[in-house]
Amino acid sequence: MEMKWKIYFTVVGIVALLMVGYETNVWANLTSSESETQVKRIENPEVDASDITPPEEKLKEQVAGGEFTVINKNKDMNSSEVVKEEKQKETGIVPANIQIPAIDVNSDIESVGVLDNGQMGVPEDPDKAGWFEPGTEPGNTGNSVIAGHVDSRTGPAVFYDLDKLEKGDEITVTDQNGEKKTYVVQKLESYPEKESPIGRIFGPTDEKRLNLITCTGEFVRYQGGHQDRLVVYSTLKEAEKEKSDIKAPTNIEVNGSLVTWYAVRKDYVAGYRVYRSKDGEEFEKVASISNHERKAYSDPEAAQYKYYVTTVALEGNESEPSKTVSFK
Amino acid sequence: MKSLKKILIIMMAILLLAPSAALADNHGDTKATVKTPAADLRADLDKLLSEHFVLATTFMMKSYEDAEDAEQVWNKLDQNAQDMTPAIASVYGEEAAAQFEDIFRGHNDYSDDFVKAAKNDDPEARKAAEQEVEEFVNEFGAFLSKATEGNLSEEAAQKVLAAHEEDVINVFDHYVNEEYQKAYQSFREGFHRMFDISKALSTAITTQMPDKFEHTKADAKAADLRSNLNALASEHFALATLEMQKGFNQSPDYDFVTWAENEHTKDFTATIESLYGEEGAEQFEKVWQQDHITAQSDIVTATLESNEEARMDAEESLKMFAEDFGTFLAAATEGNLPQQAATEAVWTHEEDVLETFDHYAAEDYEAAYNSFREGYGFMFGIGETLGDAIAKQMPDQFANDQMPEEMPDTGMGGMSGAGSLSAWAWAAFGILALLSGGVLYRKKSNQ
Repeated sequence: MEMKWKIYFTVVGIVALLMVGYETNVWANLTSSESETQVKRIENPEVDASDITPPEEKLKEQVAGGEFTVINKNKDMNSSEVVKEEKQKETGIVPANIQIPAIDVNSDIESVGVLDNGQMGVPEDPDKAGWFEPGTEPGNTGNSVIAGHVDSRTGPAVFYDLDKLEKGDEITVTDQNGEKKTYVVQKLESYPEKESPIGRIFGPTDEKRLNLITCTGEFVRYQGGHQDRLVVYSTLKEAEKEKSDIKAPTNIEVNGSLVTWYAVRKDYVAGYRVYRSKDGEEFEKVASISNHERKAYSDPEAAQYKYYVTTVALEGNESEPSKTVSFK
Repeated sequence: MKSLKKILIIMMAILLLAPSAALADNHGDTKATVKTPAADLRADLDKLLSEHFVLATTFMMKSYEDAEDAEQVWNKLDQNAQDMTPAIASVYGEEAAAQFEDIFRGHNDYSDDFVKAAKNDDPEARKAAEQEVEEFVNEFGAFLSKATEGNLSEEAAQKVLAAHEEDVINVFDHYVNEEYQKAYQSFREGFHRMFDISKALSTAITTQMPDKFEHTKADAKAADLRSNLNALASEHFALATLEMQKGFNQSPDYDFVTWAENEHTKDFTATIESLYGEEGAEQFEKVWQQDHITAQSDIVTATLESNEEARMDAEESLKMFAEDFGTFLAAATEGNLPQQAATEAVWTHEEDVLETFDHYAAEDYEAAYNSFREGYGFMFGIGETLGDAIAKQMPDQFANDQMPEEMPDTGMGGMSGAGSLSAWAWAAFGILALLSGGVLYRKKSNQ
């Protein structure tokens, strides 16, 4: 009798284990091809120290191949806030369509809000994406958010292939009048549903971002669905500045050993390049001065040269030369 | 490279020696000095009044921005006012000093009223603050005139005080309107006006009490030299520390403080040119800019980029500057200012600048403004020491006038029924001449 009970519990136990194993899909990681995507799964985003500051909010950043450093330090509230308000004027759109060529997405967008249970709403139609209307309009400074289903009860939905996006892919949203805003994918991250960093996805930022959300991870029916949320972070692709759009520095002066100029007070400035020439014909670049530095170049032999300075925009484009000057 | 630079500087020194060799026979004339009781009084007033201006305008900008260090600046502004009391007491006694403190400390409150009016966009409050300033100008002008027994006329005192208040308000208004170039132009003008006020006031006091000041004159040429160097040195310190803070915060007016520094360099160069000619000025300008002005900015950049190595490089540059500038000054003054002493003084100044900045960056504002006041005061020692060396080097230009203190007694009065009247007439003539001379000088220097 006792032997029979032992066999009974063992068999029941093994079967139960197998079932749980199947349900939680423990082998999936060994067999699936998940490593091919760029999704980074973050178990506990709020305490993941390496990621508390997303890269685009770091205090300094290198642009133009490391030639200039951009300091993102808006301690002085006066400046940044004012500029922000100005920028917000009529640049945002109400998105009606989303296109992601890399994964063949081309579908309509509905505006959604917050559901009674506190969740962000999603369109009924699995082939439509939902734009979080109380949030930021695409094109404006802040986090714009669009969510879509990964699958329906019967098959793939609008954001089924979202996890296959790669850094650099483009996302274009269009409003009813055909005005477009194009974003560039920066990174993909997934979080356990309850641990998602809501603040980072929906909260304020100085960037112009569009974040796409869908479900990912295994589907656990008794827990109400997919266990993880995938977030694709992208930033607005600003129209590149033409050479003539970038203001060249003014008031270049050479005094003693110091070359000075007036700063170009525009948001697009990454820094300045200083050129000098002995004969006034062939100029060579002698310095790169980042925007946060003193607008001056010190040259003990300044009296022997002619100088001009150019402005370099964040995208790397350079202005026309300033006036050429020499020691008085 | 370093030694090449040294050789250049020494060659420069020899060049500078040549013209003054002709004056060698006048050397050792101890009469040429900037260290007279009258010049000391003027330097004390230079320091306190100009520091008042710097702290008042700084406080208003900081307070308008709700900056974290606004309170500490306010405390130092009040401390500065309290420091004036002993200076006044030493001349006019405790009672007058107490009265002075009452009026002067109180007027600092108005700067706060202007800030509040601007923040709340409240034209009524602004009007009230302007009204208060006008009352202060009248009251304080009357006080000064009375204390100096009319040596500084009430009208002249009120005029110059009103101009000062206007300077402060101009700096603030332009700042609020984001007209930063105008703001720092007003800052520079207002800063230098404090030295004009100091000259007028100290001259009035020393004229009033010639015995107390051993019959030395606050407006002697040597005293002018000392005061001029004081103004240049202290303005440099004020702008350097302000620039570094603005750079650290990447404030929108950062580039305009550096602009003001460049303008200041031009003025300093012009002063050196008036003393040592074009070549001396050229040499000065190079040494002054190289490893100094840009190095102070590099300290800020290194902090912003958390770049330890760049910080060390910038500090090295500053040390090199202390060395080079000390060498330059010793050479220019033909050793009247020894090189070692000069280099040490310059380096002490650089340390003050660094300390003020480092405490500020570490958000220890109390310590930052302690260092600021110390470093600011130190610049007046440089003005004194350097000024004295120059005065001794060029006694022809800066010797105290070798005039008798009194006219010879060449009449017994037998023919004049009103001898005392004639003495009054002479005194009146003298005062008029002094005053009109002062006005002319100010007009000239304001152009």
